[in-house]
Amino acid sequence: MKPKPLNRVQKLWRTATASRWVRIAFTVVVAVVLAVIPLVSSKSINGQLSTMAVYAVAILGLSIMMGYAGQVSLGQSAFLGFGAYIAAYGVNQNWPVPVIFLACLAIPALAGLLVALAAARLRGLALAMVTIALPIIGIPLAKRFSDFTGGSVGTTVSWMKVPDWAAGFLANDQWRYYVVFVIAGLLFVIGRNLVKGRIGRAFAILKENEAVAIAMGVSPYRYKVLAFTIASMFGGAAGFLYLVVYQYTSPETLSFHVSINMVASMVIGGSGSILGALLGGVYYQLVPVIAGQIDPSSTALISGAILLLVLFLVPGGIVSLPRRILQVSRHARRRIGRSATTQNPPDRALAPAATSPESTEKSERKRQGHDELP
Amino acid sequence: MALFIQLIVEGLATGSIYGALALAIVLVNRATGMINFAQGAMAVLSTFVAFALAQAGVPLLLAFLIAFAFAFLFGAAVERVIIRRFEKGDPDTAVVVTIGLFVLIGGIAAAFFGYEPQQFPSLFPLDSVNILGASVSVRSLGIIIVLVIVMVLLQLLFRTTKLGLAMRSVADNPESSALSGLPVSRLLMIGWGLASLLGAIAGVLVAPQLFVSPGMLDFVLVYALAAAILGGLDSPVGAVVAAWIIGVVENLAGAYVDFIGNDLKIAVPFVVMIIILIVRPQGLFGRKVVVRV
Repeated sequence: MKPKPLNRVQKLWRTATASRWVRIAFTVVVAVVLAVIPLVSSKSINGQLSTMAVYAVAILGLSIMMGYAGQVSLGQSAFLGFGAYIAAYGVNQNWPVPVIFLACLAIPALAGLLVALAAARLRGLALAMVTIALPIIGIPLAKRFSDFTGGSVGTTVSWMKVPDWAAGFLANDQWRYYVVFVIAGLLFVIGRNLVKGRIGRAFAILKENEAVAIAMGVSPYRYKVLAFTIASMFGGAAGFLYLVVYQYTSPETLSFHVSINMVASMVIGGSGSILGALLGGVYYQLVPVIAGQIDPSSTALISGAILLLVLFLVPGGIVSLPRRILQVSRHARRRIGRSATTQNPPDRALAPAATSPESTEKSERKRQGHDELP
Repeated sequence: MALFIQLIVEGLATGSIYGALALAIVLVNRATGMINFAQGAMAVLSTFVAFALAQAGVPLLLAFLIAFAFAFLFGAAVERVIIRRFEKGDPDTAVVVTIGLFVLIGGIAAAFFGYEPQQFPSLFPLDSVNILGASVSVRSLGIIIVLVIVMVLLQLLFRTTKLGLAMRSVADNPESSALSGLPVSRLLMIGWGLASLLGAIAGVLVAPQLFVSPGMLDFVLVYALAAAILGGLDSPVGAVVAAWIIGVVENLAGAYVDFIGNDLKIAVPFVVMIIILIVRPQGLFGRKVVVRV
């Protein structure tokens, strides 16, 4: 079968994105816009944008585990909270910032590795159950070890203030915005490289079929452990960024509902997509705000309805929306074309464009069939 | 000794509540191969129906019966309208669908009844009786007895009726059942309706103790999921036994191990669950699934 002829918009899009330079220019424009925004916007908008970046990182980790490797996790909030607590402890002990950051990557990753070594023996939903247990166990533990965590009140820190050399022209919130966005950007590059490479291909086959994965020499156990460890590491890094933005953390950060909302945001943004994780972060922060303005008591109602609508209409998430619209409109156009030809045959001459690709396809198929005959 | 008996009976009673919801989860899993994270939220909505009726002056037992009927129809409707589209698809998507339902139904309950916890009338008197020197509340005994009756009825339904036979056959092999002329989709609706009804029973049993609010069953659901997984996901008896074990172990560990105390006892069943699953990944009563390529 011949590939379908592209319409003009698609052709334009293909040529535009195929060029390396266009892509680089696009990235530069986005980077410049993101760099200028904090200078011209208000403190609260800077805070909100930074929060989006925080959750985008956590959701990226979740997406690597769920979207790419196909292992359901409902415990990402545990690693977010864990990272935030480690950062808070580091700040209180006057550790240097790079040490705190590395600790926020390494300790949650190690914890994730230990959990995964045991849990990855399980299949599918049993694994999801073990991950649910993490926030449920985490909250009472956080309350119990109040020397480290400040108990149920939580712990407040004061750090990541704007350094002296920049104090003249940047406020604290602007400096924190830049810190968060630079680190989040780096983490996204790392995440992208992980899923585009050998590991990403192994995840894809693990998601598709474990038996096939074994046959191809990809150990499901090892790659499940790896996916879980990576997700925990991103969760911990997001916890570090969380403490940069909020300067505060409490057992609420670990809450099971945070995990549920992150899963919902990831699916709505686009599961198994780097851009989708970014959109998920935006959604996570934005929708409660918007829903709260419409009617604060029905936030849950609205976000649940949005999630189900997305699953029904755009299963690939917002990121697949342009493709999905094209698909639906092409489908609709073909149906209109077909009904036009069947209902009033004289119109056929007026709508050749809609019918011709199909008829050529059909004749082609017939020809192939002939070739196959002995 | 008196305290010990009391702890065990109370543990069995809370375990029975987890067990009722765990039975619902197992039922849905056997019928459609899904784990329904919205099972608790659906139960809460039905409990709210009973609550509203009782507030309006309907006799308590009648209010419960109407709420159970509502639960059955609601469960069947959810299967027909939403779940059906995702039954044959990717299991991960199905999980996310039920998570969406969990959020949505919780939101519906909150929109109608608010987030404020409210007192719920109890079916059982507040007295306690004396068993071997320990005073045990009638409520706890009542809950245990109700669960045992429910389990017996379910077994009778599945083992002795034609409907039960048909439902088992659909759970076993939907394609062959359809070819033998069973109305598979209607049976799946009935399965979801029954599960929702079981959830409603758990809801009205636990509501006097927890007060009704949209998040009332969130923790019960997590325990019920643990019990269902521990029991092996396809075994109703396993789910109930696991739920009882969870309830009792949690109570005893909270009372007798100083380090655990009242705040950390919630972690005990999960640690036990993780250890058991590592030793027996198929659960206590589950069959080992053999994957054929």
